[in-house]
Amino acid sequence: MTSQTPYSGGAPDTSTRTGGLSEKGLSAGSIGLLGATVIGISCIAPAYTLTASLGPTVAAVGTQLPAIFLVGFIPMLLVALGYRELNNAMPDAGTSFTWATRAFGPWLGWMGGWGLIVATVVVLSNLAGVAVDFFYLMLAQLFGNPDLADLTNNVVINVVTCLVFMVAAAYVSYRGMETTKAVQYVLVAFQLIVLVWFSVAALLQVSDGTAFDSLAFSADWFNPFVIPSFSAFAAGVSLSIFIFWGWDVTLTMNEETKNPKTTPGRAATLTVGVIFALYLLVAVATLMFSGIGAGEFGLGNEEIQGNVFAALAGPVMGPFAILMSLAVLSSSAASLQSTFVGPARTMLSMGHYKAFPKRFASISPRYKSPAYATVMAGIVAWGFYAIMRVLSTDVLTDTILTLGMMICFYYGVTAFACVWYFRDALHGPRAILLKFLAPLIGGVILLVIFATTLFDSMNPDYGSGSNIGGVGLVFILAMVLFIGGIVLMLIQRSVNPAFFQGKTLTQGSSKEHGHME
Amino acid sequence: MTRVANYVVAYEATERGNDTVELGVALARLTHSELRLCLVLPHHSPTVPGRVGAVSSPDYQALLEEQSLEWLEQGRALVPDDVVATTHLLYADSTTEGLLQAARTFGSDRIVVGASRRGLMNRFTIGSVANALLHASPVPVALAPRGYKAPAQLTRITCAIGTRPGWKTLLDSLVAFSEDLTVDLRFVTLVEVDAGRRHPVEETESQTHLAGVLEYFQSRSTAHGTITTEVASGHSVESAVEALDWQPSEVAFVGSSRLAQPTTIFLGITAHRMLHALPVPLIVVPTGTDARKPH
Repeated sequence: MTSQTPYSGGAPDTSTRTGGLSEKGLSAGSIGLLGATVIGISCIAPAYTLTASLGPTVAAVGTQLPAIFLVGFIPMLLVALGYRELNNAMPDAGTSFTWATRAFGPWLGWMGGWGLIVATVVVLSNLAGVAVDFFYLMLAQLFGNPDLADLTNNVVINVVTCLVFMVAAAYVSYRGMETTKAVQYVLVAFQLIVLVWFSVAALLQVSDGTAFDSLAFSADWFNPFVIPSFSAFAAGVSLSIFIFWGWDVTLTMNEETKNPKTTPGRAATLTVGVIFALYLLVAVATLMFSGIGAGEFGLGNEEIQGNVFAALAGPVMGPFAILMSLAVLSSSAASLQSTFVGPARTMLSMGHYKAFPKRFASISPRYKSPAYATVMAGIVAWGFYAIMRVLSTDVLTDTILTLGMMICFYYGVTAFACVWYFRDALHGPRAILLKFLAPLIGGVILLVIFATTLFDSMNPDYGSGSNIGGVGLVFILAMVLFIGGIVLMLIQRSVNPAFFQGKTLTQGSSKEHGHME
Repeated sequence: MTRVANYVVAYEATERGNDTVELGVALARLTHSELRLCLVLPHHSPTVPGRVGAVSSPDYQALLEEQSLEWLEQGRALVPDDVVATTHLLYADSTTEGLLQAARTFGSDRIVVGASRRGLMNRFTIGSVANALLHASPVPVALAPRGYKAPAQLTRITCAIGTRPGWKTLLDSLVAFSEDLTVDLRFVTLVEVDAGRRHPVEETESQTHLAGVLEYFQSRSTAHGTITTEVASGHSVESAVEALDWQPSEVAFVGSSRLAQPTTIFLGITAHRMLHALPVPLIVVPTGTDARKPH
């Protein structure tokens, strides 16, 4: 005889099979304003983001760097508002994949999920690449031997080191280990301090006249309307979306916060305030110190564009440059590990709904983590990096440009999913603004940016200037990723059509799904 | 509400988890207790700084929960009809913490966990969860060896007893455990000797101590079955354990005092080394001052 005894009360929450979805797994009400802000900044990982994006952004818009940072936030904000609405309506389905499937059906839904996976896999390879550069740079600084820093230019050593980092990060993620709150606070504080230090040191050198290529400050830098062409503008915005990527996390925190009504909004505002201040300070300081020329430390130098701080920390911070190495290395290592969670869980979700082969849905019985999906994310990210390292003259720049496009794509799909899903629920000005106007405008901006950058990237000079047969590498890459996705989707369709016949996830609107307010 | 004698069984859908259920079944049959199959999930942590934060959402939690309920069902399917088992999905910061909380709320008599799956030759190696439990559990912890299968009936309990203070607590626990049971009991002391030399003095001392143990136990026990004593010697604790005969339908009891320093390992060195050589399940009884009185 066996029996199922529902148990109530007491410290351990126990669930029975009856009560559908529960929130018991959430540590409710544990995060305050400061904690939520730290999480937001930590998601953005400013030290890593800046070193990876400053160069490509200057290449696109020149001295209009601060302006594009400000403008680039607008589509992110608009889409994030839609994200929040979807997250509130369908908390049981928190991925672009499920949202897009619910709104548009299996085909676009599949591609939305694919876009998210590709974007996160690409950022994994970029993160690992930046970590490898800084790892050897730090060794060089530690032992006072500059030759060690050059090891990163050896393709074999670089790719193998990247593999080691990738395996380590995937393993930590597979084991279900998480960065503790204390470590997170320290990492965030350290990043902020070092970045401010870097900026102040750069500005001091400018005033002492010892800067590399001193550029006089101009208020025009903040004016987006003097960006020379729409192509340049589009490329800049696409990159800006990358630099704010992760910010939306603060908006979607609900039950976890001490006051779900006010904390997420305030934390999101505070986070973006801190990030704005920091980005503008670093952007202005770097421009004034380096200029946008193609000289040794100029921001226009393609050699240093993919990883700006690696080149500039030495001349700007002198003997303290090692702090920058530590800041970027720690921020990219932490980000590398936590970023694994994203694609792994989306693949798991897709496996569960039979949109991916079933084994992607396997969960490690021991560590309760998406085992197969995590391993696959690691293998694909490393493979992508290894191929790029061989093909591209500046792997980091090209991956960042590709990444910007991928984020535009899946954010765009999600924004339109929001507009379409809530088409029957637009009652009152608040709903019209948040569920319709904001995501619609955000989605349209992203669509235009996406189409423009895709078209421009055909030019062989785009990005690092790597090309295959006269066609830009970034364009080829994007096409391979999209067409690869479509091919895989068709294969999955023929192997197991259940998902594509709407048997596992149903399409509909908020009205049909009963998510009316 | 009258309390039902019960065991918390630390279940996970692995070989180790199956061993744990088997030991739970063996102990439940002997002592007419119920099993509480517990699967502990980590608290969903919102502090993961993932860039794609929306994904670290309840969606994943729901899938994990669905899978866990399926796992628990598999676990319960391993329990034969003559044993009552309930399943419980728990959330805690760590597996150990979840199990301790469960033991507290269910008023459990013991916690059953698996030894590490990496043990060689069916012998014990303590896994991290078991180890953490041994440091913190106020109730006895039963450790299942790798590949354990429950016998139809446990027929003998071996109690390894030392001369350190706390042996009486161990005996009290054994008295409670064997209350009204028909089971053979064997008290052993382990003597470490140098190879090739006899140590008659130590063996005599051990015999004397065992006589005292026997007297203490028999004056309290309500168990039915033969009681034997044995002194096992070997050049190491491991070889002393190996010198004894062990039956497949046997469990071992050992006491262990919680030491003053929290970082010191809970299991005494002797008990720890014993574990490495032991082919049968081991029940470790906390004999420190704050050990809970058995029901």
